[in-house]
Amino acid sequence: MTMNTTHRSTEGCVEDVRRLLGSNNARLVSIFGSVEENGENRAHYIVDVNREYHRVSLPVRGAIPSVVPAALAANWYERELHERFGVEIHGHPDLRPLVHHPRDYRFQEVKGVGVCEVPVGPVHAGIIEPGHFRFSVVGDTVLHLELRHFFTHKGTEKLFEGAPIMSGPVLAECVSGDNCFAHAVAYCQSVENAFDISVPPRGRALRLIGLELERLMAHIGDVGALCGDVGCAVPAAYTARIKEALLQASVRFLGTRFWRGVAVPGGVRRDVSTENAMELGKAVSQAAADFAEIAQIILDMPSLQNRFEKTGVVSRNIARDLAAVGPVARASGIKLDVRRDHPYGFYRKISVEVPTLRHGDVLARAQIRIEEARVSARLIQDTINELASGIVSVPVPSGGSAEGFSAVESPRGELLYWIRIRDGNVVRCHIKSPSFQNWPVLPFAMPGNIIADFPLINKSFNLSYSGCDR
Amino acid sequence: MIFDLVKRSLRSPNVLLSAEDLVTANSRGSRMPTVEPARLTKAIAMRAVAVCSSSALEIEDAAGHLFLTLNYGDCIGCGHCIEVGERAFLAAEKLSCCGGSKQTLVRQWDVESGTELLSSEKEMDAAAKKIRALVGRALNIRQVDGGSCNGCEAEIAALTNPYYDLERFGIHFVASPKHADMLLVTGPITRNMEQAVKNTYEATPFPKLVVAVGACGCSGGIFAGSDAVVGGVGSVIPVDAFIPGCPPTPAMLLTGILRVLLREIPCGGANASTMGHCVTAERRHSEQD
Repeated sequence: MTMNTTHRSTEGCVEDVRRLLGSNNARLVSIFGSVEENGENRAHYIVDVNREYHRVSLPVRGAIPSVVPAALAANWYERELHERFGVEIHGHPDLRPLVHHPRDYRFQEVKGVGVCEVPVGPVHAGIIEPGHFRFSVVGDTVLHLELRHFFTHKGTEKLFEGAPIMSGPVLAECVSGDNCFAHAVAYCQSVENAFDISVPPRGRALRLIGLELERLMAHIGDVGALCGDVGCAVPAAYTARIKEALLQASVRFLGTRFWRGVAVPGGVRRDVSTENAMELGKAVSQAAADFAEIAQIILDMPSLQNRFEKTGVVSRNIARDLAAVGPVARASGIKLDVRRDHPYGFYRKISVEVPTLRHGDVLARAQIRIEEARVSARLIQDTINELASGIVSVPVPSGGSAEGFSAVESPRGELLYWIRIRDGNVVRCHIKSPSFQNWPVLPFAMPGNIIADFPLINKSFNLSYSGCDR
Repeated sequence: MIFDLVKRSLRSPNVLLSAEDLVTANSRGSRMPTVEPARLTKAIAMRAVAVCSSSALEIEDAAGHLFLTLNYGDCIGCGHCIEVGERAFLAAEKLSCCGGSKQTLVRQWDVESGTELLSSEKEMDAAAKKIRALVGRALNIRQVDGGSCNGCEAEIAALTNPYYDLERFGIHFVASPKHADMLLVTGPITRNMEQAVKNTYEATPFPKLVVAVGACGCSGGIFAGSDAVVGGVGSVIPVDAFIPGCPPTPAMLLTGILRVLLREIPCGGANASTMGHCVTAERRHSEQD
């Protein structure tokens, strides 16, 4: 087995889910629906209790009680469940449509003397994805922020349905383009988990290199973009250069900039020569050294500290209640990393350092990324130095029916795929993306900050709109 | 501190790619395929068509003759045809299939004789020579995401890095469609973005160019046919040019944008057909005025 295997599946009721959520060290991971062959709707709940995934599934007959009172993080999941599967949910505070955009949608209103609304988006000023932000402000100070997303909703989960399992990675890579390899690997692992297939060591090692390289590039790019947002153009150009060097090293290594078309159920599509691996290792160590040096200069700049410090604070309680994942959670003092908590693939053999900070501001989120970039570069080099030999993939049965799920630590946090396969075709695929989990945290980072700091705070989260909207 | 930064940047290498480098290997790393006609056989062609993820490859039988069609507008670069193609399908180092009509995205070969029927290679070489002449001409681009996966955005953002440095060609990204000459639109247009894309187009002053970027922008790509998606950019607003790729590399984007510019600028050397596109595009715009 190569996946996160500590996973219990039980038949239960919503009370069981609430009980699980009430235990120590419990965190809501995902809620989703499925339609059974007999036409019955089912609701599935995944909860992480003490580093073990528990899945509770239950048939939906009539209304089901909401778990929002037990876990605020359930808010968006239940809204989506209600909207997509028509499930009636009792006791949910806000069942306005999330994914579809009716004309009569009502935003939350903040009333009072001098309160103004500032609508932003969906078309933004930069080269970024579309989403709508509705600020309620007094002067420059933000009182409240409401998100209106799902502009990039493409029905991706639906497109998986009916697709042969081998063509799934192509779709998974298009869920969130900059984390495409993490998505492809999460999908492949869920297939492998379903059929109990073990990926050969060399295939696992190449996947680790890809996953860590993706994280390294994402974090370097994010830190540079943060500098760009406060008008610090030189470090922004600098990190963009380092990131591009890594993209070009990937081309020499595997013929692809973003590692698309590499992961496949059973392993990876292509092998690499030792020479190419060594060259990639050199490029990574060069990039890591360059980045570490520029990062230190950035962190020492008073003008930058002034903008980053105490901006967009996410308290530990908020992060915990909303079950934040990834760098956002780790910057607010929550030690959480799928690579350590639910190791998969090559991560089973190694220990991953998980840096954690407690301030929860923009500076902490920048520092977390700088630390994690260092860890990722180290992991890549260690793996390349001891690259296992042998084959890189094993065949996967073309028929067969099974269910499986798998989680991966993408650059943005915990990414989970749950799939059901019938006769070699995917009949249901649920994608829990870290962005879907972390977007609801962003509004809590805004109150008290000035509206001009929003781009900076938003960038420090750097969430994917497409990954959230699917 | 700030001096450290200056010192450090003085020591950093110059990585700028020359305009010629950009054109000669623009699609390296994009995984777009090309065909080596001499090695093409019926069996290989059939196998490649069978494994294609996005119906970009098609084979048709016309009066006993087999024709292989490769539509870059649909191709998502999954690389499956290259795997089964026994070197008759190769990763393209250079891709010149971008431009004014969807027809320029299509290449076709006679499978038996190995000859290519449609080709726009020549135009591209002419374009390469003109690139230097373009330096100094200003173009303001507004990028619009109509629902993409953000892969195209990552590559468009890379255009501003020190390797590609888009600004040396006088090209800027602007924050508002009201400042723009060109809209660079990505993604299959989703139902939720349809109105916003139309509004953005309306807000852009004439004369304006619309370039559809990526497989999704050209044809809807892998998302074509989804209930939540309207289709390629052309199904919502008039499109002047297409840049294929999933995602297109920064070099493909840059050569594509420059190529579109060639049509709009009376630079003498442009051939009759490209000028023709220019006239049609302008006429359509003025009709809408």
